[in-house]
Amino acid sequence: MQRSLSGSFPAPLSRPAWQVLPGLIIASVLLALTLTGLAALVWRAPLPAVSELWENRYLANVIRFTVWQAALSTIISLSLGLAIALALVRQPRFQGRSLLLRIMELSLVLPTIVAVSGLIGIYGRQGWLTTLVGDWTFASWDLYGLSGILLAHVFFNAPLAGRILLQTLESVPSPRRRVASQLGLRGWWLWRTLDWPAIRSVLPALCALVFTLCFTSFAIVMTLGGGPASTTLEVAIYQSLRFEFDFGRAALLAMVQLGICGALWLLVMRRSLTHDFAPDRRFAEIIRRPDCRGATRFRDRALLFTFSLFLMLPLAAILLRGLPGLATVAFEAGDPLFDLANATLRSFAIALPAGAFSVMSGLLILTLASRGRAFSKISSIASALPLMVPPIVLGTGLFLLLRPALGQPSEGLALVALINGLMALPFVTQLLKGPLTALDENTLHQADQLGLLGWYRWRWLHWPRLRRPMALAMAYGTALSLGDFGVIALFGTPGQPTLPVLLYQQLGSYRMELAAGTALWLITMLLLVFAAFNLASHERGQRKRSENTIETLTEARHA
Amino acid sequence: MPKFIPFLLAGLALPFLANAQDSETLTVYTHPSFAAEWGPGPGVKEAFEQQCDCTLDYVVLESGGDILQRLRLEGSSTGADVVLGLDTGTMETARQTGLLTTHNIGLDALDLPVDWNDPLFVPYDWGYFAFVYDTEQLPTPPESLEELVNSPDDPQIIIQDPRTSTPGLGLLLWMKAVYGDQAGEKWRALSDNILTTTKSWSDGYFSLFMNGEAPMILSYSTSPAYHMAIDKTDRYQAAQFKEGHYLQVEVAALVEPSDQKALAREFLQFILTPAFQRHIPLKNVMYPAIDLGDELPEVFDRLIQPEATLFIDPAEVAQQRQVWLDEWLNAMIP
Repeated sequence: MQRSLSGSFPAPLSRPAWQVLPGLIIASVLLALTLTGLAALVWRAPLPAVSELWENRYLANVIRFTVWQAALSTIISLSLGLAIALALVRQPRFQGRSLLLRIMELSLVLPTIVAVSGLIGIYGRQGWLTTLVGDWTFASWDLYGLSGILLAHVFFNAPLAGRILLQTLESVPSPRRRVASQLGLRGWWLWRTLDWPAIRSVLPALCALVFTLCFTSFAIVMTLGGGPASTTLEVAIYQSLRFEFDFGRAALLAMVQLGICGALWLLVMRRSLTHDFAPDRRFAEIIRRPDCRGATRFRDRALLFTFSLFLMLPLAAILLRGLPGLATVAFEAGDPLFDLANATLRSFAIALPAGAFSVMSGLLILTLASRGRAFSKISSIASALPLMVPPIVLGTGLFLLLRPALGQPSEGLALVALINGLMALPFVTQLLKGPLTALDENTLHQADQLGLLGWYRWRWLHWPRLRRPMALAMAYGTALSLGDFGVIALFGTPGQPTLPVLLYQQLGSYRMELAAGTALWLITMLLLVFAAFNLASHERGQRKRSENTIETLTEARHA
Repeated sequence: MPKFIPFLLAGLALPFLANAQDSETLTVYTHPSFAAEWGPGPGVKEAFEQQCDCTLDYVVLESGGDILQRLRLEGSSTGADVVLGLDTGTMETARQTGLLTTHNIGLDALDLPVDWNDPLFVPYDWGYFAFVYDTEQLPTPPESLEELVNSPDDPQIIIQDPRTSTPGLGLLLWMKAVYGDQAGEKWRALSDNILTTTKSWSDGYFSLFMNGEAPMILSYSTSPAYHMAIDKTDRYQAAQFKEGHYLQVEVAALVEPSDQKALAREFLQFILTPAFQRHIPLKNVMYPAIDLGDELPEVFDRLIQPEATLFIDPAEVAQQRQVWLDEWLNAMIP
């Protein structure tokens, strides 16, 4: 029997196996699901010749276009995101800053059909802005085509990039910022010494994330792309699987997608630049940057104001369109209210466990990463996988594998929660990585000496730091599942819709007004999720303040 | 307010109770617009359960294509007794799976624009594809497909992708039925008028057409019936084209591995009775498959009456689909 040094019983869960096994199991499950999903497809039908990829003009075009639009979207989203992050870091007292941050969080989880409706309400042919601009100037634009795809992708991804970059920029140690401030560094020099070193480490992984999101984009590309010339690989996979039942071709295309996105992630990892996307959100005192006044101040505020409008106008369009529908739901006698309430409850019954599962598995996978290089690789690949494997391929593989075991509809719903949880993993791990790995060697060493192991280590060392990031991660996990339509549609619902399914049912039955109401309700629920978890993480303000005091003390010593 | 709390709790518990019953259960795979609260599903369920002393369960899948895919994935261990929601575009693929069996029921009651004696598929409704237009934006719509194809770039239309959507495939076949070998170049001529091609009917109708993005959208000749009867507006109408309109028939079929074949046949028979069909016109917004007489809502008299019904044999469609899709792709991609 192994006993701890102090002679008492070992701390609960302190065996090394406990820190490796659960994470390893989840990572292996993810890898196995992907491989068996693909294998199940290939087993049903042989792979077509690989040469079809470049010999078939259509497929070659699809691949070229997919890469091209994803690369452009990534460049624009990241540039805009960076400009916004810099402006926000220069102007910490910008009015409406926290509202802007919430909305930046929201944009990633908006269901596409809803977001597209909002974007069209503003930038479409009959949109507010198009009409306004058309009335006052001679300028006009055509939304449909590459420009529409880029606009939508920037709408979804620039806020994500900005949010992550902002946290990185804010994590620059205070002494550095103070020195920069005292030296009065400006322009290029400030960028070179302060900003660039901070974002350099996040940029590659952020690029890979945004690129993968745009690469796998589907309904947006079709609706706003204007025609079949704008087709992504995901569309071709869907087509082969749903309409042509050509499993072999679907598997081949899925492998191409995995290959391209996977290569990018591997490249990012090889340069070992993967870095936490969301560093500690501990805002020490505000140190004024030398470049926050004068013309810059005006320019920053103008930029932030415009960006807020860019994000909020489509939401306003959804609000205006949805209000009459919600009024109908509320005042019309009969079922709509029950349906909505029921669907809301059912959605949360799936989304909350999904969120919890994603946070838990995210933590376990990350714990794995600290146990050596090989484990670290497995953990990074596994947590990026759900982004790269087309859900429809994953789902079909799963279905083929689990079918004999799938009896009850409730088991189907549990499976939906599980898959939703896994889909949120790439975002959740990025949010938790920083705080989990931010502890320095000394602290860890000291903790070891004190016998602060296992459960106690988690409770007293990690939990206080992880409380807030975990709340945000939980919010993302829950919200992503709440807005999910793909996975739930794949497994079929026994006549009992979740919110997104209800939305599609209303659309299918010409209930456009009700559908607009449901869309508004869904967005309200998403915002509520973010607000609630944000609030929950703020409860213990005292702890945060005490942390700050220690920091301030050490800073004073360094300064 | 408190009175609906038990209802909400019941909603949460329902998934776990769904299978707790004694009498026979008939499982029907269908798509959302049929099974939705506002679709014909609930009314049909009630009417059938009254006469059969059984339970009718719907398993709702995203679309007709998904029903077929689920069936293929499940093979002989499928839980479905009946599939309802396939159409003339997917039924041949379904036939080839060998998972469907003969219905053995009389089809004399059918009232379709074409003759129908298929041994596997029982039609439950039908409709014509048509372009629905917004009378406020477009007072005089084109009177023929030819006029639409030849108009320079106005009016703009929204269509659906034939690779992912049923009406999208419908337009592909419509063009093929009218133009035959010339379909490719006609598509090229039409492409100036196409504002965008959406993944599904819902994407186009909700996000674009109802936002006023384009004055015309590919839909069904029966769509205006819903707007006239339920929304109480005459604003949206279908444009009647001289060449005729392409027909869509939606069908149900008996699943071979089912162990409830007698009950399933009873249901297929029930499809061709007024008790089922009266839910079709305003809830599925399609024509009923039998003559409903006076029960057909009055707005249906105000719909367009195509001069010709265009229809390509489903077997030929299944055989040629890939070739025609490639022709379309080549025409649309410069």
